[in-house]
Amino acid sequence: MSYLTPLYALSKRNLILRYKHSFLGFLWGFLKPLLYLLIFLIVFGSQFTSTNDHILYITSGIIFWFFFANATTQGTHSIVQAAGLIKSIKLPTHFFPLAEIVSEFINLFMALAVYFCLMPAFGLQFNVHFFWLVPIVIVFAWFTYSVTLLLSCLHVYYRDVGLLWTTLQPALFYLTPIAFTEEHIPIRFMFIIKLNPFYYFIKLFRAPLYFHTAPDLLLFAKLAMATTLFWFIVNLLFKRMKNQFITSI
Amino acid sequence: MAALLQFRNVDIRYRSNEHGVHSIKDFFTSWKKPFQYKTILHQISFSLEEGRSLGVLGRNGSGKSTLLRAISGIIEPHQGEIICTASMAPVLALGVGLEMELTGFENMRLLLSLYGIKLTPERRDAIQQFSGLDDTTLKQPVKCYSSGMLARLSFSISFSQDCTIYIIDEVMAVGDLGFQQQCVDRIFALKQAGKSIIFVSHAPDEVARICDDAILLEQGRILSFGTAQEICKKYTELF
Repeated sequence: MSYLTPLYALSKRNLILRYKHSFLGFLWGFLKPLLYLLIFLIVFGSQFTSTNDHILYITSGIIFWFFFANATTQGTHSIVQAAGLIKSIKLPTHFFPLAEIVSEFINLFMALAVYFCLMPAFGLQFNVHFFWLVPIVIVFAWFTYSVTLLLSCLHVYYRDVGLLWTTLQPALFYLTPIAFTEEHIPIRFMFIIKLNPFYYFIKLFRAPLYFHTAPDLLLFAKLAMATTLFWFIVNLLFKRMKNQFITSI
Repeated sequence: MAALLQFRNVDIRYRSNEHGVHSIKDFFTSWKKPFQYKTILHQISFSLEEGRSLGVLGRNGSGKSTLLRAISGIIEPHQGEIICTASMAPVLALGVGLEMELTGFENMRLLLSLYGIKLTPERRDAIQQFSGLDDTTLKQPVKCYSSGMLARLSFSISFSQDCTIYIIDEVMAVGDLGFQQQCVDRIFALKQAGKSIIFVSHAPDEVARICDDAILLEQGRILSFGTAQEICKKYTELF
């Protein structure tokens, strides 16, 4: 049996269920970042010389943040919510968090399409370095999947994990220079920012999208290796725990 | 005849949360070790041959559902070996797997896709015909269905698969008399077509009528294995 069909079906189900009975539907994928953008323009507006520059700066980070935040939040609950299916149909359990990544990836893809249509008006210049976005997005999605896999697995045993994650997310968001620039962070607190893996991903995304340069390839290689190692450990843990899910969901 | 399914000294164990550990608070406040292992099935050995039907009988909590999950490959054995050479279709319990917000037709597509099957117009018509639900009903979200209608839909989807072994878990308890008879007719049609059935029920008469062989489970162990008639008699004597 091809496993692509069930994965596609689960991802499609996620998208349909998310926007069913919602008047604006898919538009929420754009409205949420847009509202955040407006708030940040007002709050952090003074740090940029031009509004266009500020808009480009924020959007080049916030799109990827929402992919990460939405995928991890929904993915954390994915195994517990699929209890009925997991107990009765033979399906690889990691498909449930993975399907959340796939459906959120479709949202990211659409957000990026809108981004590339609108942002040239705010100073985005199409350049050859854009091609670097493909491998960076792949590694970033893989990292997001690994985080989601870990959270979804722990959430089965400790229901605090879901609540803890939604509480920690705003902290993680403000520990990443998405709305403000790095120069605004006091040097003595910089080590905290540097502990946040999202900080490095945003740096890679901003190189082609905001600075119109090639990303730091050494940083990319380090992140790819760290993500692989992280996924490997999480995957081992998940495999050890998955047979016990049935009694806890 | 070739064995489609073989269990060899299979042990299934679960991690049990005796203290109800579901939060970090519980973890710190539970005095004993929070996770303990409990063996649900002990040394299970049997085989199912092509075209034969197997009944599974036992009291509540004797391990029937766990055995079915092990047969379907949902849980892996802690010890022993499960050899399965055939494709399997679990017949879902009442409403399991149905997404309440989706319509009947959307649920057909979703569930079949999860089994890796495409919903063709012919298959859709066959499911609709077996379920006895009309177009208007199937276009409604299933949250509007009665429990009988949910059972009709989920059983019809499960029965529409083309497999060698069908796993049927206490399906006769729901649905009206007409639908129950329809299910029995379908089971006999499948048997005639040379398919194997694994049938779980608390009704010994049904097991004796449908199955050739049967297993009697007691506290996770096979108490007896033999012809369906014999085992049904033993099951009745338990009470």
